[in-house]
Parts: sequence; structure tokens; C-alpha cells
Amino acid sequence: MLKRLYVDNFRCLVDFELNFDSINLFLGNNGAGKSTVFDVLGKLQELITTDKKVESIFPLSDYTRWGNGQGHYFELEFLGNDGNYKYSLEVGKVDSEIKEDNLIFSNSYIHKETLFFNQSPLLNVDLEKVEFYSDDGVKNSSPRYNHSQSIISILKPSSENKKLIWFRERMKRLALIKISPNLITNESSQKNSFLTKKMENFVSWYRYIFADNQNKLSQLTESLQEILDGFVSFKFESISEKTVILKLIFKTEESDQNIEYTFGELSDGQKVLVVLYSLFYGLESQDYTLCIDEPENFLALPEIQPWLFQLYDLCSEGKLQALLISHHPELINYLLASPVGYWFERESNSHAKVKPITNQESKESGLLMSELIARGWLNG
Amino acid sequence: MGKNRVQIVILCEDRQQEVFARYFLAKRGFNIGHSRSIINPNGKGSGEQFVREKYLAEVKAYRQKCNQVTIALVVMTDADNLSVQQRLNQLSSVLQVNNLADRKTEEAIAVFIPDRNIESWIAYLKGEDVNEEEKKTYNKLLKESDCKPYSENLAERCQRQEKLEDAPNSLNIACQEFQRLLSLLN
Repeated sequence: MLKRLYVDNFRCLVDFELNFDSINLFLGNNGAGKSTVFDVLGKLQELITTDKKVESIFPLSDYTRWGNGQGHYFELEFLGNDGNYKYSLEVGKVDSEIKEDNLIFSNSYIHKETLFFNQSPLLNVDLEKVEFYSDDGVKNSSPRYNHSQSIISILKPSSENKKLIWFRERMKRLALIKISPNLITNESSQKNSFLTKKMENFVSWYRYIFADNQNKLSQLTESLQEILDGFVSFKFESISEKTVILKLIFKTEESDQNIEYTFGELSDGQKVLVVLYSLFYGLESQDYTLCIDEPENFLALPEIQPWLFQLYDLCSEGKLQALLISHHPELINYLLASPVGYWFERESNSHAKVKPITNQESKESGLLMSELIARGWLNG
Repeated sequence: MGKNRVQIVILCEDRQQEVFARYFLAKRGFNIGHSRSIINPNGKGSGEQFVREKYLAEVKAYRQKCNQVTIALVVMTDADNLSVQQRLNQLSSVLQVNNLADRKTEEAIAVFIPDRNIESWIAYLKGEDVNEEEKKTYNKLLKESDCKPYSENLAERCQRQEKLEDAPNSLNIACQEFQRLLSLLN
């Protein structure tokens, strides 16, 4: 489980700290920094789990505009693998004096990167050297040449670095999502274990998760039969040697006849329902952190609370961790019956502040939390 | 077993009561995807007042809709320092002062009143000795969802119509109330 995030000098996040629980709801006005937290997690994930260079992940526009000119600093803590991981990253900034078309380009580089497990070092990288520690604590030091990639991202798994590799794999299990139903493609040419942010590759991910897991598929199918009127089952149809198209079969009420629709033919709301429930059955019990920006978009009112029931149960049973951003009263009023909320606020051109939401103000005023927020009375 | 297609409205004081009721109903075959939870947003402390205030509106809504759709109203509120009967009387008087008829046995409006509170029932289901007349306060669970095995176990025992040995009286009353509700919905 993701336990803590600390960020300094990244956009509006300055000396910013958040501690997480199994379910977390981020609330606040637009521009207050909620989505920026997801962006930080996404960028750290990209740096640690892919071969992308730091300068493409952290462009100049990501530095705090009114900041002190220093680089970014991040800390991440995870509970897992029977211990506590603490990762830190310092991204340096350098004006490289490269001139092209009258533009001056600056570069980012990794100044320092460390990883600890239960307070014992696994990795210590500074400008000159790289120090690895085996799972047994044996140090291996070498000069450093690569300043543009996370050392963790280029590690080859071995019997001696299982703890380090566990951390990299855990970073892959941050599912950062803002569902855009109109961008989801109908077809899949290969299975894909990684979900893109807007879920364009949902069908390929679905194929990876459900094609060979009948148990999960039948749970999902059963669940969707209760939600989507007339839904019978899913089906893949080959349209070329490698490419398949996802179809949903619905039964007509009058004639008992089955009609097939491609995924793209569904309404936006139906697509989102399929996606949201697929996430549950696809990710549960695998130590995932599911971060969804406005999951209720496109859903009808009666569809929100049942999804929240299931989300709440999965999170409280430790089968999933969820970070949600929402402005919707249904979500706010249901979830804030437990102390799971964080209020983000920010004045123009200043850094974001965050505080846990208690129900004290709601208790004193007698108003629902969503009503307090709508009136702007939760600020301050 | 087919799921019971009934829309259930759960009106309760706090998250602990809500998850206890949801797990119980789900175990008994109700489709929780069709239910709706109305929880006091302020948590413990002012819950009883919240339930009383919402009770009136929910009973009215139930009576308007019960002939058109299969619905049930499940109300859960702690006895606290009162008896189960005194708490029931309080709810009845809410209807009375608003010129509404009292709850009838043929109405799918079920009221469950743990005495002293939901933690007393959970303590009993965990195997502790519970004497509700002592009005003792029992520990809250670390996480509300930890009540799941106890709530589901109660649902199974109720289904078998098993006698709950040395159970708090309020729990026996609740089991009878659930059987009444079930007979109406079946």
C-alpha cells in the first residue's frame, strides 16, 4: 500500500506531504493541486519503470514558477513485501545553453536517488557513484555515468536484488486513470498488462486480464448482468490474424434473441460502467493502487452508490487501495461518512495546501458535506 | 440462488451500522446493487437524531412507492440509554406528530435497534458475554468492515432459524423483525 508522498518544487506542490489510507478522497476547487498529485505519481512511475529519460518526463514547465530555482524533490513510501520502502529522488535542473530557433533548452538530470527497505539501504545514487546493496546488505559500488535515467529502471532482476525489483514492480501497480470513453479503441492487436491513463487501450488490457481467467471473467459478467439491462456476456471476434474486437452480447426482452454490439457501439456511460467494474475484478487482491480522476463522470445517479459499495468493501478488506478525485455529492456524502477525505486549497500563484476533512463543520452546521463544499464553507 | 430484486433503503447512524446491514442483507441473497444507503454524515454522536429526522421522509416515500415497486426500508438506530421499546416509541411519535399512521406489520419497514449499540451485537457475535442491561460500552472494531464475518455468520444462523444462545434480547428481537420483513418480500 502507498503510505506517503512528499513533493517539493513541482508545479504547485511545495513542501507538500500526504499520508494515505486504504481509501482516499481528494476534494477541492479546480486548480487546487489534486490532479497534480496523480501527475507526480505517474511521472515517478514512468521514470522508475520505463526507459524514458528524465528530461522528457520532467520538462521545465513542471518546476514551480515562483520557486527558488532548485530542482524537484520527491519521497515515496510503500508498505509491502513485509516491510516499509522509502524512495527519494532529487531532480536537478541545468540551463544547457543549447540554442535552436532562438529557443534556449534546459535539461533535467537525476541528482540523487535512494531506496531504503526497513531503513536499510538498497540503493544510493549521487552525482559520482552508484551504490547497490544486495538483499543481504552487501554493498557494491561503481562510478556513475548515466544521469538521465533512474538506476532502478535499468536493473536486471537477479537472486540478489529481489527487494529492489519488488519496488519497481510495485510502482507498475499504480493504476492512474481518467476515463475518456470516446478514446477507448474497439480493437486489440496484442494483450497489454499496462493501462494507459485515458484507458485508450482498455480492450488490450481486458484481453490480458480476462481472456485466460474464466473465474474473473464470470465474476465480472455476473456483476455486469445486474447493472446493464439485458447484458449476457462478452465475446472476442477476430478481424485479422492478430487483431480481435471486443463485443458485448445483449438479450432482447421480447424475443429472447441475442444481439451483439461492439464495445465502441455502447454509450459513454455503458463503456464507463464496463471499465469501472472491470478494474475491480482485474486488479483486486494484487496489491494495486487505483487512482481515478472523477470516476463518476458519465454515470447515472443510481449507478454511483453501488459502485462505491464495492469499492469501499474492496479497500476496507485490503484487496485494493483507492485514491479518488471527485466533485460529486453522491461520492462525497457516501465516502465521508468515514474520515477518508482531504481538502485541497490554493490561492492564485501560491502553493497547494491540504488538510484532512473531519466532520466537525458538518456536525456544527447540520449541513451535508457536499452542501458545505458547494457553499465554499469548507475552506480556511 | 437467485438474488432478491428488491430495492432496499438502509437508513442508519454510521458506517459501522451500514456495513453490518449491507453484509447481512447480501448474505441473505439481496442484491445490494439495488440498495441505497443513507448514513448520518456526522458519524457517531448525533446519529439517533439524524435517523429520526430522516425516518419521517423515508416512511412517506415508502408509502408512496410501495404499490409500484418492491421496496423495503431498513432502519438501524442504537438504543443507547433507552430500551428497544422506548426507541421504537420515539420513532412512532415522529410519525404521530406528523399525522401519519404508525408502522403496520404488513409494511416492509423494518427497524433494528441494537442495545446498547451495534458494538454490543458485534461483541456477542465475536463470542463475548454481553448483558445489555448493564449498558456496557464495547470496543469499536479497528475497521468497520471487520464485522463482515460476524454479520454473515448471523445471517446464516438466522436463515437456519438457529436459536442464538445467550444472545442480547435486542438481537433476538431483530431476528424476528427480519423474519417478518422476509415474509413480506417473499
